[in-house]
Amino acid sequence: MSNYFYVSPEQLIKDRAEFAQKGIARGRSIVAAIYDVGIVLVAENQSASLNKISEIYDRIAFAGVGKYNEFDRLREAGIRWADSTGYTYSREDVDVRALANYYAQHLGDMFTEGPKPLEVEILVAQLGGIVRPTKLYRVAYEGTIADEPHFAVVGGESDSIRARLAEAEQEVHDLATTLRNAVAALAGPDREIAVADLEVAVLEDRGTRRTFLRLGDEQVAQLLEQ
Amino acid sequence: MGLPLFSPSEDPGPSFVHFAEMSGLLTMPERAIDAPHATTVVALRYAEGVVMVGDRRATAGYIANRDVRKIEAADAFTAIAISGSAARGMEFIRLAQLSFEHYQKMTDADLTLEGKANYLSPLIQRNNLSSPLVVVPLLAGWDPTRREGRIFEYDGAGGCYERQDFATIGSGTPFAESALRLGFRTGLTRNEALDLAALAIYEAGDNDPSTGGPDFVRGIFPMVVTIDADGFAELPTDDVRARYEAINERRTQAQGVAGGTLR
Repeated sequence: MSNYFYVSPEQLIKDRAEFAQKGIARGRSIVAAIYDVGIVLVAENQSASLNKISEIYDRIAFAGVGKYNEFDRLREAGIRWADSTGYTYSREDVDVRALANYYAQHLGDMFTEGPKPLEVEILVAQLGGIVRPTKLYRVAYEGTIADEPHFAVVGGESDSIRARLAEAEQEVHDLATTLRNAVAALAGPDREIAVADLEVAVLEDRGTRRTFLRLGDEQVAQLLEQ
Repeated sequence: MGLPLFSPSEDPGPSFVHFAEMSGLLTMPERAIDAPHATTVVALRYAEGVVMVGDRRATAGYIANRDVRKIEAADAFTAIAISGSAARGMEFIRLAQLSFEHYQKMTDADLTLEGKANYLSPLIQRNNLSSPLVVVPLLAGWDPTRREGRIFEYDGAGGCYERQDFATIGSGTPFAESALRLGFRTGLTRNEALDLAALAIYEAGDNDPSTGGPDFVRGIFPMVVTIDADGFAELPTDDVRARYEAINERRTQAQGVAGGTLR
């Protein structure tokens, strides 16, 4: 017969949290910020094909940090949820708050009941329109959900990045300024991030139904120089 | 629906239809009712792309609807048109649009035009072989790798055939196709192709009771679209009206027949 050792719930939660935090801290952070006519998402990402930022629906974007395979499954589930909800009801019935809640529930369940907590943090952004408001939600590894009014940061060094960004983003700016602030906050005072290592996408109205747009290296370089 | 998560072995992949089937979203009718039918659409290739024209009538023993849109953009460079059961056809268009976009979002890559054409085959087969509400679509698009417009037609069982010249679907096919057979040659200009396709639908509307011709009383005209390197574009109503007024004028002068030449 095997021996079971007693582990207090406090200790168990603490161990699981530490485990998840360690995993998340290995990856680079992601910033999402609202600018005058849209939302910009900025990630530091050496890979040009393994994306951290992605389109979920007409006005909803997704960003994930941590273990790629884990947040990519959440991204796929988000697209499936959005497409099937829009198919069943109407495109306007797809709301980011419901999606953020599902992510929070799933991450919360995995944290307490799963074989191991997911080592990811999730950002979902919704560009406001006639029917729905502009929203930024941050969902942490243990299922905590936060509604951010202006910008959101996820990832390992999110506290220091958040502090730097809060100083630069005291009001809503245009895209170029917001992008510059976001990149500077991600990099910190002692280093620069090469344009090739940036993954940038925006949600902005361009007269089409879909508002998600990836910005190429050239566009990003141009915006940063402005 | 909760968060649709799948284990890797059961994951439906980037196909929306596979996913929707696994989730019980799709249903299949099992008996026929007297539901509206949609008819005649033509597509033909010209030098820089494809023209598609579709009539606007849905019938159910009477005229059920006079302004049905039977052609839709499946995505920015692909048009899809339907004939047969209006209900299943509209559903078919919705499913095709959603599937192409779903694939693109899931994989971060566009389906090729051939990929889109092949994707529809099992959908048609699935619908037509298990349901009496038959639907036959027509797919046309701009192929960015070949830099040309391409047309794919289907038979009722889902067989997919690429056409080098033109294709027609719906009950007005014999009349529309006759006009196209007489008037088509390779390398038509855009304007020539628009006129010929408009004439083909005029002939179908003139002879087939289920196909609607130009409706000058209500200002409802066949839907005319082009797909070229700039993507899917619908012709403005004024332009379409002018083309049908010209045909009408010639027909009036020739007392209702083409008058010995194709016009």
